[in-house]
Amino acid sequence: MAKTLEFRGIGKSFPGVRALDNINFKAEGGKVLALLGENGAGKSTLLKILSGDLMASEGDILVDGEITTFHSPHDAHNAGISVIYQERLMMPTLSVMENLFAGALPTKKNGLVDRKTMYEKTMELVNIFGVDIDPFEKVGRLSVANQQMVEIMKAYRRNSDIIAYDEPTAPLSEKEIELMFKGIERQKKAGKAIIYVSHRMNEIFRITDEIVVLKDGKQVTTLKTKETTEAELIKYMVGRDIGDTYSNLSRNTPSNEVLLEVKNLCTPKLRNVSFKVHKGEIVGLAGLVGAGRTETARAIFGADPITSGEIWIDGKKTNFRAPKDAIAAGVALCPEDRKEQGLIMYRTISDNVMMPVVDKMKKGLFVDRSQAAGLAEKAVEQYDIKTPTIYKMVAELSGGNQQKVILGRWTSDLMDTKLLILDEPTKGIDVGTKAEIYQKVCDLAKQGIAVLFISSELTEVINLADTIYVMRGGAISGELERKDATEESVLTLAMADSVNTQTEKEGQA
Amino acid sequence: MKAKLKALTHKKIFSLLCLLLGMCLVFYIWAAIHDALNPKITFLYALTHSSFLNLKVFRNILNSLVVPSFLTMGAGCLLIGGYMDLSLASIGCLGSMVMAVALTGWNLPWYAAVLLALVLCALLGWFNAFMVTKLHFASFIATLGMASMAKGLLQLVSSFGTANGLAGPVYFQNDTLKFFGSGMIGPIQLCILVMILFFVVYGILISKTAFGAKITLLGGGPVAATLAGINANALITVLFVNGAVLSGVAGVVTASRLGQGTLMALQTNQFTGMTAAILGGISFGGGVGGMGGAFIGLLILNTFTIGVQIVGLNPYWQTVFTGLLLLFALGMDFIAMARRQKALK
Repeated sequence: MAKTLEFRGIGKSFPGVRALDNINFKAEGGKVLALLGENGAGKSTLLKILSGDLMASEGDILVDGEITTFHSPHDAHNAGISVIYQERLMMPTLSVMENLFAGALPTKKNGLVDRKTMYEKTMELVNIFGVDIDPFEKVGRLSVANQQMVEIMKAYRRNSDIIAYDEPTAPLSEKEIELMFKGIERQKKAGKAIIYVSHRMNEIFRITDEIVVLKDGKQVTTLKTKETTEAELIKYMVGRDIGDTYSNLSRNTPSNEVLLEVKNLCTPKLRNVSFKVHKGEIVGLAGLVGAGRTETARAIFGADPITSGEIWIDGKKTNFRAPKDAIAAGVALCPEDRKEQGLIMYRTISDNVMMPVVDKMKKGLFVDRSQAAGLAEKAVEQYDIKTPTIYKMVAELSGGNQQKVILGRWTSDLMDTKLLILDEPTKGIDVGTKAEIYQKVCDLAKQGIAVLFISSELTEVINLADTIYVMRGGAISGELERKDATEESVLTLAMADSVNTQTEKEGQA
Repeated sequence: MKAKLKALTHKKIFSLLCLLLGMCLVFYIWAAIHDALNPKITFLYALTHSSFLNLKVFRNILNSLVVPSFLTMGAGCLLIGGYMDLSLASIGCLGSMVMAVALTGWNLPWYAAVLLALVLCALLGWFNAFMVTKLHFASFIATLGMASMAKGLLQLVSSFGTANGLAGPVYFQNDTLKFFGSGMIGPIQLCILVMILFFVVYGILISKTAFGAKITLLGGGPVAATLAGINANALITVLFVNGAVLSGVAGVVTASRLGQGTLMALQTNQFTGMTAAILGGISFGGGVGGMGGAFIGLLILNTFTIGVQIVGLNPYWQTVFTGLLLLFALGMDFIAMARRQKALK
């Protein structure tokens, strides 16, 4: 009955990035195995390979000792594998029971859907899990927690032998977590192999038997949960060779002049966010995915409305209604999603660089194309963008060069950028280009530009930023100077289950 | 690379021109065969005295371009910016009726009647933009509703102008408008010159000015463009108002030519603007194309319609083929888009 799942030498490469390298471990039936690692360590990629969304570049997946290849999520289902994602993949306009039985609708002899059987089976599941869910309710109207439960029930209904959870407790309350753990316990007793991805240490110690620690796409170690401690795990997660990248950076001493001051900023997703950025200073915004860092950036940039609080730039209170206003006041944003939000992919480098200043380049009634070309040429030269010409479409550039195009746009001669917000600027970029970008960011700070640097990569934030604010659950959970910051201290602030009073004081200081 | 890129854009126009010429050739031979079925005419005579390739047909085609050309320019600009407007023809029709009623019922001078019609069209266009930018309706839905509203208003307005108070055509007599609609300047109609002027102005507007550049960027990536400081809402409003006013112009030309405001004006042109624009290489997804292509697209469409009439094909087939032509254009656009997306991955 008990099934096993084994990863043997799994590797995955994306253009320019090595996402996974030689992953080997075995998940056994009747046990819970934890996958632990920082953001970007490769956990999601691994789960996507397991669910059939992605194909491994090398290595084998063995189910019950037999090599199995998944060409699609459908193949993975057939092999008895269910992956429950953080973002729930359901049909919100259909009912709970329809969602549960999608793909295996019970039918009557005449071929019509047997809703009675479906209802009875759904009630059975509802009773097993002890949840208060109406089978006829539309899934979109359920609470996030109950949607998660439906997803878990679906895996149970499918009778999958191997079930993977991707941070399932993030949206759940204490009581609901208890319910879910009971469900997992039940699956464990039934001999299912369970893979559990979470950042929450207490959960990992509570329900898992074995822990695989990933880091930068590599498997650091495999430990028995009973034989390890939280401190040891964090050390494994962060311990990395920092190298000379950061020590060679030529830095700047920030001035005492405050450029950006955020006071008690609130939006539907942010709670009382307050911090300052000085001229020439690089301020890091650390935290886990979903902690509210991107939302903070967008609120400052005028892309999202704010409910309350104040944003002061250069001693003036701002009231930006659109990014256009923010740009006019000297604020620039490099968004996290380069392809959707940062660039127009099927346009040339030149077009992408001139976007915010197209109104300033006039020759009579027309756009001065030669001036636009000059601007782009300069960006190419300044940031060493690897391209034969400025008329190449940005879609054809590598991720690093795309990021440089955005930087070039915000620092062109026609721009007067005072505050540069970088949201995950090095995401998906190779190591060499990363180092180039770090130096450019330091150079910009030297010119007196205030930089707000958002990153999930701890080493990067700790070594680049002069001051680090850590966010958690839409609020600032702590402030650290570079000399005091360690990966452990930042990670503790980012992952702490409740923001304790001391760090709250620090955040307000 | 710059030269290469130029060559590429030329290639698109080039292939469109090839399509146009090929179509002319087919109709030329087809018309000759059709004529040669008459035993009194030899095939050679039919070729040299073609019923398709002659000045009269050429003029017919040019005359038939005028009304849909304004719709094409409006729809083309909107499509480049990433939006569509299904209400253009209905709004234009309403405009023509308002003008007719203003002339006959309220005895306004011609310029006031035209102005009134265009202002009303502008208002409806602004309302379209309001629904899209402020209420966040998909442009498809918003303008579908508007199309229906404009049709209702059209009937309502016409009932003010008819003697019996029922909806119907409203006749008027005005020499200035008659001259504008069908008067000749030398060998060519005045309104054809106006059309050419408009195409040149809009072509320059789209390809050379900051406004055009911003529209193209907006259509290429609305989120990225907004985050790079392009004021999307203002541009969208201008696009919808512009489209509606241009439809109003189309309506004014139609009414001036017919000497009446009818309920049916522009009805055959419901989708002509969009079809011509897409056929002319303006992408359905936005951000690609220009007015030159749109003009050739329209030329292809109308040459086709008139060619089919000349070779004596059942006019019902003509409508079927026009539909096929639109599907062909959309299919080509889809393939081009898929290819671009594939290059991204």
